[in-house]
Formats: sequence, C-alpha cells, structure tokens
Amino acid sequence: MIHRSLSRETPIIAVRNFTAGYDGHVLLRDLSFDIYPGEVFVILGGSGSGKSTLLKHMIGLYRPVAGSILIEGRDIVTAQGQQRLEILARIGVMYQQGALFGSMTLLENVRLPLEEFTDLPDDAIDRVALMKLQLVGLGQAAYKLPDEISGGMRKRAAIARAMALDPPILFLDEPSAGLDPITSAELDQLIMSLSKHLKITFVVVTHELPSIETIADRVIMLDKRTQRIIAEGLPQELRDHSDNPWVRQFFNRQVEAAG
Amino acid sequence: MRSLVTARGVLEGHPSPDGALVLSLTGALDASSTGQAWRNALHLIDVHQPRQLIVDASQLTYCDGAGAALLLELQRHQQSRRLTYEIQSLDPAYQALLELYGRWEAQRPEPLAPAESPIEQIGRATAAIWNDVVVLIAFVGQLSLALARAVRQPGLVRWRDAFVTAELAGVNAVPIISLLGFLLGLIMAFQSAIPMRQFGADIYVANLIGLSMLRELGPLLTAIILAGRSGSAFAAELGTMKVSEEIDALTTMGLEPVGFLVVPRVIAAVAMTPLLSVFAGLLGLIGGAVVMLSLGFPLVTYIIQVKSAVTVGDLLGGLGKSFVFGIVVAAIGCLRGLQTKSGAGAVGESTTRAVVSGLVLITIVDGIFAVIFYYLGI
Repeated sequence: MIHRSLSRETPIIAVRNFTAGYDGHVLLRDLSFDIYPGEVFVILGGSGSGKSTLLKHMIGLYRPVAGSILIEGRDIVTAQGQQRLEILARIGVMYQQGALFGSMTLLENVRLPLEEFTDLPDDAIDRVALMKLQLVGLGQAAYKLPDEISGGMRKRAAIARAMALDPPILFLDEPSAGLDPITSAELDQLIMSLSKHLKITFVVVTHELPSIETIADRVIMLDKRTQRIIAEGLPQELRDHSDNPWVRQFFNRQVEAAG
Repeated sequence: MRSLVTARGVLEGHPSPDGALVLSLTGALDASSTGQAWRNALHLIDVHQPRQLIVDASQLTYCDGAGAALLLELQRHQQSRRLTYEIQSLDPAYQALLELYGRWEAQRPEPLAPAESPIEQIGRATAAIWNDVVVLIAFVGQLSLALARAVRQPGLVRWRDAFVTAELAGVNAVPIISLLGFLLGLIMAFQSAIPMRQFGADIYVANLIGLSMLRELGPLLTAIILAGRSGSAFAAELGTMKVSEEIDALTTMGLEPVGFLVVPRVIAAVAMTPLLSVFAGLLGLIGGAVVMLSLGFPLVTYIIQVKSAVTVGDLLGGLGKSFVFGIVVAAIGCLRGLQTKSGAGAVGESTTRAVVSGLVLITIVDGIFAVIFYYLGI
C-alpha cells in the first residue's frame, strides 16, 4: 500500500469548500480534502451520510451548492463542453450495480468508449477491450451478456469498462455491496493489483470494514449529523486511536454506533 | 470519433536494404493517438514485409493499454510468421505493462455460437408462438378463476387500485377518445357525403354514421386507444415490478399476482371501455351532424334518420363488444407485463408486445363478433 498521508506532492483530486444539497436542504457542508496520485482513497460513512452524493458530485453528475472539485487541477464543476469531456476522459466510474448495458456483451460494453472516443481500427478496439477484460479475469466471458454472469463478475466487467480509456482515476461506488465475502475479497485483490501495476488512483465509497482494512491507503469519514468529515487518516489509526467515540464504534462494529 | 486528448504519438518507419524495418515511436501512445500509429505500422509492415522488425521506443514518453496492445500486436504479427521482432529502449515501466497484458496473449475467448440456420429460426419461432398460445390459455384460466373468486368474495378485490386505474385508463382518456371520435364521424360523413350526393342519397350519411359509429367503429376506436394508452401502461408498470422483484415479493407473501394486480385492472378496463365507447359513438354522431348541418339538413332530420337506422340491438352489440375488448386489452397488457424478463430493454419489449398482441386480439375478437352477429341476425 502507498501511504501518502504526509506526502507533499500535488493532489490528483482536490475538493475545496464543497457544500452539497438540494431544495435548500444541505447534505454535506464545507468539505475540503485532497487525494494523491496512486493512492486508494476510501470515503466512509453510515447510511445516509452522503457518501454516494459526494461521489456523484466528484464525477460531475451533480452540481454542488458551493465549492470546487479539481481533477488534475481542472474544476469539474465549472467545466463545459470539450473541457468537461477531457476531464471525464481522465476518470472511470464503476456504479453500484455495474450499470453494464444489458443488450450488449461484455466485450461490446468495453468496446463502447473505445469506439466513441478513439480512432483505433476495429480489430485494435477488439484487442484492447479483450485485454481489459482479461485484466479483470473475464477473458473467457467476453461474449456473454451481463444477465448471464454473476454479480461479482458484473462488477469486474464494469471496472474493465471504466478502464477502457486508461483513465488515471477510478471511482468505485460500493464495490463490495451484495457480494459474498470471497467474491468481495477477490474484488479487493483486483483493486490492489490494478493500483500496484497500473498506478491507478482509486476513490472508493464503501462501508465494508474488511474491505477498507485491505485496500485503503487513507480514509475520510462522513457524519450524517454534522454533515462534515469527522475523521481522516489510516483505517488502523482511526479504529484504535480516534478521539471521536462514534468513529471507534463504527470501526469496532458496536451497536450504539447506529444511534 | 469525439476528440478528447491532444497529445499525439507519432510512428515513423525506416526500412533498411537488408530487410529490416525500424519503427520509431515518438511522444505519447495513448487511447486517443494509437489509432493512427496502428494504421501506419500495419501499412508499413504490409508494404515492406520486413524479415526483422525493430521498434525503437527511446522517444516514447507515455504508453497505456492501447499502446501496449499495438506493441503486442506487432509482436504477434511477426512471431506468427516466424519473423524476427525486437523492441529497443523501452522504459521498464512500460515493459512491465507489456508483460502484464501479454500474460493472456495465448488465450482467446470462446467464440460465439454460429448463427442459426433459417430452418432452425423458423422452428424456434413456431415453438415460441405455440408456447405463447399455451401461456395465454393458462393465463385465461388463471384470470377466470381469479375473476370468479372476485365475484364470490368482492371484499378481496383491491377496489382502491381498481378505482385509480379506472380514473387513469377511463376518465383521463375521455379527451382523446372524444377528439378522435368526433373527427372520425366528421371525416367519414364528409368523405361519404360527396359521392352519395351525386345520387341524391346524402340523407343516408346519417344511417352510415349512426350504424358504423355505434356498432363498429366506436368500440373499435376505443379498444385501439385503450391498447395503446392503457394496455402498454399496464405492461410497463407490471414489467417494472417484475424487474424489481416486486412480483416475486407478492408471490412469497402468498398473494397471487393475477388476483392482486390483474383483476383490479381488468375490472377497471371492463367498466370503462363501454362508457368510453358510448362517448366515442356520441361524439362521432356529433361530428356527422356538423357535416349534415353544413349540407343544409336540419338537426331534427338527422336525429330522426339516425334513430330509424340504429336499433337498440346495434347499440347493445357495440357495448357487448366493448366489454370484451376491455377484458382482452387489460388482460394481455398485464400478461405481457408479468412475462417481462430481466434487463433494461425488457420492459420496452413487453410494452411493444402488449400493444401488438392487444391489436391482434381486438381484430380477432371483432371478426368473431361479426360472425356471431351474422348468425344471430343482429
């Protein structure tokens, strides 16, 4: 794992004074944090704390009430047209349910971004798409439809599609949700392997403790009540030494934490 | 192609007389710039047919998966022809990338099953039609049982759902039914009045409009609109419930989906279709009246002529047909919804099938009624 909490290098993502909400109702208030190249950064929080909301703002689906989200120095909030497309080409997203196109085979799903955004010849696109599927261990399932494979395989295929254009940043929304512990551990191994071999920066939203302890270089924890970050650091440090009792309860799975 | 990244990788070829070809890579070889390099490389190899291929990567500043795919493709091309391939001065980081992606070089996925022959396709389509008929018969049985239970124990019917559906499928359809009924009557009267006038028979336009609207076209128009407007909505609603496992949830709660979801919709459609059909007929008559008035006939003449042409039997025949059309359209819409498979396209497919099956069944039922009416002398 790459521990960069004390690193002085330029952040690949910088969130500044970020406030999100809708209809006058604030969900997240004045968040600021940095994510460094190559790290696996985990956004933690209980149900309803705004983890997925934060992720959806970071990938440009929603506009925040205030603040900026700089991806490689460019603000995704204000970017328009070609500039926005260029920022989007630098990120890949795996949605909670995979969001694979059901009428396309896995290979066609991975081919799609390559067809739309590159001028690679057709057989080259096939080759690159197959390479990505092989990288996530789905080479033999290339011609299957998303319906014909398991939930864990769907998530891996979604990662392959997110990596089609080799973005340096991957956002994963609840990668372990709905998976058995073994499949979930396999997915964690895949994340670790991609992080190690391809130096991809991962931003992962999850609340699966085993997963966090395996993959996370650094975590931030969101709090529903204060709508702010209540903890930031290494998972082990937060579990054992956080001065916030709620954080310790969360990491130690104590029931009172739900309250 | 949508242009994304501006950095371009350049590939240049330097052939030598001894049959070697040096490909020099300069700049970034990423997903957006590899396409041109790929075409250039294959073209140069095609032209020079080199015995020895040397890739000079000393000026390569960046290489991603697409670039790695190109380098692996060049290697595969040469090795498959037992020719020499060499890559020089490749950054160790990109060498590691090549090794990572090259690991599966020998593996190829199972190809797709070959396409079916036309005979197989015809056989499969025939079997599918037959299965559909079997399912339809089974569904008619299930629905009949559920309706019989509803008659015996009306308290078990979800009347609230039935009333909501009646409003959506019936009351809300009044404007469109009225508009189309009126226009149908108006257009038919106008089109027929012109030739009939040549024979001095324009007064019989009233007979034509009265009979056709009340007995045939009013119910048919209503049923078609119901199929397009409500049959499709039932299919989409139940289909979405099927996709999101709500139907399974009902079943495991011990609630029969047909009784719980289909019966209220069928009751609503059966109650509303004859009423809408009367509306369509009435507005059609008004449309005809507008034309007759413009031709110079007084309204009272038109009304007397319609009354003399149309019997109570015609009106009741039309209403009877509407009643059956209502059952058919609602039932087939619900059935197609319940048959929805998984996936995003499945609901759309069910909706289409609901409308198409609804229209086919309306036509068949209408034909059956024509024969029955003929033998009964109605």
